[in-house]
This record gives sequence, C-alpha cells and structure tokens, in this order.
Amino acid sequence: MYDLSSVLDFDALAEVRPGSSILVSGPAMTGKEKLVYDILADGARDGDGAVVVTTSDKAASVVEEFRDRVPDLQGAQLGVVDCRGEGGADPELIDGVSVHQVSSPGDLTGIGIGITKALEGLHDSGRERGRLALVSLSTMLTYTDKKTVFKFCHVLSSRLDAAGYIGVFTIDSGAHDQQTIQVIKQAFDGLIDIRDADGGGREARVLGLATEPTDWKRI
Amino acid sequence: MSESDPPVVLIVEDEPDVAETYKLWLQGDYEVRMGQNGDEGLELLDEDVDVVLLDRMMPGLSGDEVLSEIRKRDLGCRVAMVTAVEPDFDILEMGFDAYLSKPIRSEQLHDTVTNLLERSEYDSMLQEYYALVEKQATLEATKSSAELAESDQYSDLTEEIAEMREGLDDTLGGIEDDDDFIATLRGLSNGDEE
Repeated sequence: MYDLSSVLDFDALAEVRPGSSILVSGPAMTGKEKLVYDILADGARDGDGAVVVTTSDKAASVVEEFRDRVPDLQGAQLGVVDCRGEGGADPELIDGVSVHQVSSPGDLTGIGIGITKALEGLHDSGRERGRLALVSLSTMLTYTDKKTVFKFCHVLSSRLDAAGYIGVFTIDSGAHDQQTIQVIKQAFDGLIDIRDADGGGREARVLGLATEPTDWKRI
Repeated sequence: MSESDPPVVLIVEDEPDVAETYKLWLQGDYEVRMGQNGDEGLELLDEDVDVVLLDRMMPGLSGDEVLSEIRKRDLGCRVAMVTAVEPDFDILEMGFDAYLSKPIRSEQLHDTVTNLLERSEYDSMLQEYYALVEKQATLEATKSSAELAESDQYSDLTEEIAEMREGLDDTLGGIEDDDDFIATLRGLSNGDEE
C-alpha cells in the first residue's frame, strides 16, 4: 500500500492500492504540480523509485526540485521523461539522473518508450515500489484529441498496475470544457480535486479511492 | 475483419521455402497472403490485413522501407519484423510491433500472431469503452444530479462501463510487458484518430 496522507491529510489517501492511478485536477496556480512532486518526493525519502513525465518543466529543474526535497536522493532513484521536444534524441545524465527525451507531448509512443526505459532503470537498481507523475495532461490535450489522451491514460494505468506503481497525473480544470474533464476522469481510479477556498487559501477533496467522496477540506 | 472471416496474415519474405513453411503453419487458422518482395507485399496490403510478417533483409525494398510505407498508409495492421540477428531494444523505436528472430518455430510464430491480434482486439475494446464513457460524460454535463439519479439510461450506462472496464483489464490480461505497452500505444497513434 502507498500512504499519501502525510502529503495530503485525508484518510482516503492513507492506503492507496499499488497500481492505482490518480488524477489531480484544479484551476491554474492551485499547487497541483507541487502536490504531485511532494507525493513523489515523500516516497523517494522512503526508498521508492520516482518517474516524472514532464511537458513543461525542464528536466534539469525537475532534478533540482527533487534534490531540494530529498537531499540524499540517489541518482538511480529518479527517471525523467522530458517531452518538451527541446532536447536532443539521446538520453542524458543530469546530476546522476537519467533523462529520456521525447520529440513532443503528442508523441505517445515516444513517451511510452521513455517511461519503459525509466522503469527499467529503476527496476535494475532494485526498486520494487515507485511513483510516477505526469505533468500535465492539459499540454498533451493541446497536441492530441481527448479520445487519444483517454486511451493513453488507460493503457499507462495498466502498465503501472503491472509494475505495482502508483501514478499521479495533473490536469488544469480551467483549460478544458466540463465534458472533457468528465471523460478523462474515467480513465483513473481516483481523483484529487483542488480549488481556491473562499477567503483565500485552497481546499481539496478526494473521490473514488474510498467508498464515498470526502468533503472539501482546507489544505 | 468481420466476425466470421479468419484474420488475414501477410507474409513478405524473399526465400520461397521459408515463406511456404510459415504458410503451412498458419493456413489452418488464418487467411495467408504471400509477397516475395517489398513491392509485392505492398500490392497485397489492404485494410483486410491484420498482421504482416516482414523479413527485414530483402533485395529491393527493405523491411524498414516497407514498414514506413505501411505506417504512411495508416492501416490498422500490426507488423512483426523477421530478422536473422537478435535485435536490441531499438526495434520498438523503429516502429515494429514485435520481432521474430530466425530460425522461427511454429509455436513461436503462432504466439506472436495471436498476441498481435489480441493487441488489435484490445484497441477495439478500448474504442468501444471510450464511446460509452463519452456518452456518460455528455449526460453528466447536461443533466442535473437529480435527473441522473432518475435516468435508467444513465444507470445502464454506468453499469456497462464498469463491466467493460473489468473486461479490458482481465480478458486480455491488460498490458503484460513492455512490448505490449509500446505496441498498444503505437496503435493509438496509428489508429483512426482524426
């Protein structure tokens, strides 16, 4: 089981089944990215492997984020799949972390190959547990239609399930119509919903991981 | 491919003996077509073909060239490369869905073809699943929760989606290994999108 409740204090997140994929949805600037990085870093501190698929942040900044959060992070513990299409084709090593380049956020096969290599690297270093973050589905949705992104999420979830990993995927709820969000949601086992709270700050709720959706709670 | 017709396998192989052997092994279960070189293979290729067994080293058009033409035509078929040397990982990056290294045994050939057909079946199930999910999302976006609670159509749909989801995970074992994973993703990109 994976305990995410130390990052986000909900009972529904205390025992997340290996193989679960969770969508983190909220408007822009509500800390979705920070949340998923925190979830990965929290696991990494206990020795879990981490894979970050990024469509926006530079691989070097992802590595830096993790070095900050997990000072004794081992290089072989993290793999980055950089889909911005700005790096070369060759895998590179940034500060001991292997980075796999993908030509564009719409290159699903390339992303899959990058993830496969990252998982392989973690497996070779003896990690049996791990967490994958994809930031963000919203960028992918600007390159590919929602049907393809939906199928991609489903297939990737199956792959994570086979590996016994968990996955956290961000989506900017303000950037898509409601129907798109509803469709994408269905590809996941659970949902963490984030919104701005009245009077400042933020609140969240968790759906799909416990029998009932939780109430909104300030975070 | 319709329900009753056997799947179609196209063998593109320049050595007649080898091609005949594959055909012997497969013809009981599949409709088999044979092309002696890349050009012939491409002529025999249409949307009925489910799986292509493609020899990589042939005089004339090479296997790689035939593959890129197949992908360009955007046909839904799966392509297994047949090679004399054990390839490295890059085979998947080159765009093939599977590979077989010579000499090939009958069982191995059957396994590969079966697996590739299962990938295609998984794709069409995923397609069907998506259609249901989209219908459900449309209802959710246009009706109030009170209306949804009353709607038989909505509850039927929800049930159907749950069943389908389990079917996807179980029937074909979901995604078993990296080759399955990549081949399935490639199917999404090569599929019927827009």
